[in-house]
Amino acid sequence: MKVSFPYMGTTVIYKKLLELLGHEVIEPPVPSQRTIDLGVKNSPEFACYPLKIILGSYIEAIELGATTLVTSGGHGPCRAGFYGETHSRILKNMGYDIDLIVFDAYKRDIMGTIKNVRKIMNGNSLFYLWETLRIVYLMAKSMDKMEKKIQKLRAYEVCYGDCNRAWEKVQKVFNDIKNIEDVKKAKIKSKSILDDIKVIKIPEPEKIRVGIVGEIYVVMEKSINLKIEEILGNMGAEVERSQYISEWIDYNLLPIWISKPHELEILKKGEKYIKEIIGGHAKQTVGHIVDYAERGFDGVVHLMPFACLPELVSQSIIPAITNEYNIPVITLPIDEQTGLANVQTRIEAFLDLIKNKKRIRIA
Amino acid sequence: MKIGIPKALLYYYYYPLWKVLFEELGFEVVTTKNTAKELVNKGIKISVSDICVPIKIFNGHVLELLEQDVDYIFVPRMMNIRKGEYFCPKFMGLPDMVKYSLTDAKDMLLTPNISSNSDDISDVRNYLPMCGILGVSAFKMRSALKKARLSWKEYRSLSTKGYTAKEVLDAMESGIDIKKEPEGGFLNIGLMAYVYNLYDEFISMGIVDRLRERNISIQTFEMFNENVLDNQLKGMKKVLFWTFSNKLLAVGYKFLKDVNIDGIIHITAFGCGPDSLIGKIMELESIDYKKPFMTIRVDEHMGENHLQTRVEAFIDMIYRKKVMSIKEANIV
Repeated sequence: MKVSFPYMGTTVIYKKLLELLGHEVIEPPVPSQRTIDLGVKNSPEFACYPLKIILGSYIEAIELGATTLVTSGGHGPCRAGFYGETHSRILKNMGYDIDLIVFDAYKRDIMGTIKNVRKIMNGNSLFYLWETLRIVYLMAKSMDKMEKKIQKLRAYEVCYGDCNRAWEKVQKVFNDIKNIEDVKKAKIKSKSILDDIKVIKIPEPEKIRVGIVGEIYVVMEKSINLKIEEILGNMGAEVERSQYISEWIDYNLLPIWISKPHELEILKKGEKYIKEIIGGHAKQTVGHIVDYAERGFDGVVHLMPFACLPELVSQSIIPAITNEYNIPVITLPIDEQTGLANVQTRIEAFLDLIKNKKRIRIA
Repeated sequence: MKIGIPKALLYYYYYPLWKVLFEELGFEVVTTKNTAKELVNKGIKISVSDICVPIKIFNGHVLELLEQDVDYIFVPRMMNIRKGEYFCPKFMGLPDMVKYSLTDAKDMLLTPNISSNSDDISDVRNYLPMCGILGVSAFKMRSALKKARLSWKEYRSLSTKGYTAKEVLDAMESGIDIKKEPEGGFLNIGLMAYVYNLYDEFISMGIVDRLRERNISIQTFEMFNENVLDNQLKGMKKVLFWTFSNKLLAVGYKFLKDVNIDGIIHITAFGCGPDSLIGKIMELESIDYKKPFMTIRVDEHMGENHLQTRVEAFIDMIYRKKVMSIKEANIV
């Protein structure tokens, strides 16, 4: 059984999980123009962008020999919850015979979840599964910590690209993990890698901090959001994302009383603007904007796939938040039109405005 | 006191219920005129540009109500009408969207959360939060809802007899019984479209009349009882999350299996998320069932000619197909 998974964010983590359970893992290639083309060609025209990219990356993984695909499902009410069904229909129609294992919310389908877990366990004991999950969880936590640091350092790196190179190294270090001890070692090692990056010293009040909010896939996957973090970082802004994989695990997979997720606080902050959870990350988006405003961020970039249902609701509400909290927000709908120059220009203008605003405030 | 109900979105499915409810409570119910170009333009101005046209039109109707001096505007938050299913996220966030994009209407909104286990949404618990705002007792609300439910039931039973929602609403409004039985035409076409797209003449550009003029009888999802539709989807492993989209898909399957239906037209708004998936499923299924299927996608750019041409071509095709099959049957 050759297993693969959709490409999103730090893929080392999913790869490690499957590898430790003894599967032969086919790592899907980084989404490229070919991935986008494949996905767009075979998806419904008006499906949302992540569906198309994931389909493209599935097809590429199948071409490399994958026979089983593992993914997470959803519980609606946004379209993401129906990806599994749509993907398996399209792939079947294209003539591929693959096994698509979709992990839905376990409350919705307990028997199905147990069946899926047994498939993934690959004959290992429950104790081993638990151990593996612990390793992967700790790994996700520490990798996210490293990534957050990189996102800050990139604004001040002396040599262009130092941070990217460091991040590559960190991923390689974590790739060699085999047990809990290794996680600790990898942590120390990657810390020293980050410490080696040469940075310019900038006085605290002159630092610019920008938050990125929006739909999870376009926020987390840099190859399809036109590397927005790097664009911002290279223009001298510290970046923080609203979504990290470890936070997703905290909120979605662990019992709330154990993980005490940060996301609950965020949801409370969004309560005023969107009363109910309407699917996707709309409520989190508005909550995060409020959160960033309260923490003194200078601006927020709101990313969404074109015609994303929940994010359109949050986009409608953002002007009210901007007025109330006096925080600039720019919304960028992302789709298969990958004109980099357009985004670059808009981000540059946005940062210029932020810098001006800040200068006036300081003076 | 005047209560405004915008003539958009679920107006076309629940107006008889809401109208009787507020009238029984002793309020005057005001609604808006049919959608027109000006109203749409106003709505577009205050909406996010990428959002679907029914929502833009809804905003336009709310603006219209503001001009009519109403005291309250009824914008319910439609949560779910089936267990485990929801409405489209835009419906669930609709009150928030209206509240923050139309600041004038901020304090005039009545936004009860509607959730229920069936299409019948007259459970008193849904409407209790409004009692305090409107100053009516829970008891009065309960008895008003009883009458409202009857009115809605009547509306639904007339719909299932094959009348379009528009005919039924007009009849109920004017108090005249519909005498004319829906005529059977030479061709039967199944229309897959949400009520707010099909019966808003601005969005659908009067497709119902256009088809009937050509001696074609039509069927839509609201002409079937809910359990008939629910039965259609029993074979699916995971149904959609959106109740009305499920209804569309169910009726789509019904049309595919029904030998009397000659063709299916799917009318959808540009950027409609749920429809993007239904459309794909139907596209694939219609090949298996060998049934002509066409999608018409509409938005606020209203060119009537493209609709006319495409519908004509589609109808000519299925007309010829039917004539041929009748001839063949006669020869044999």
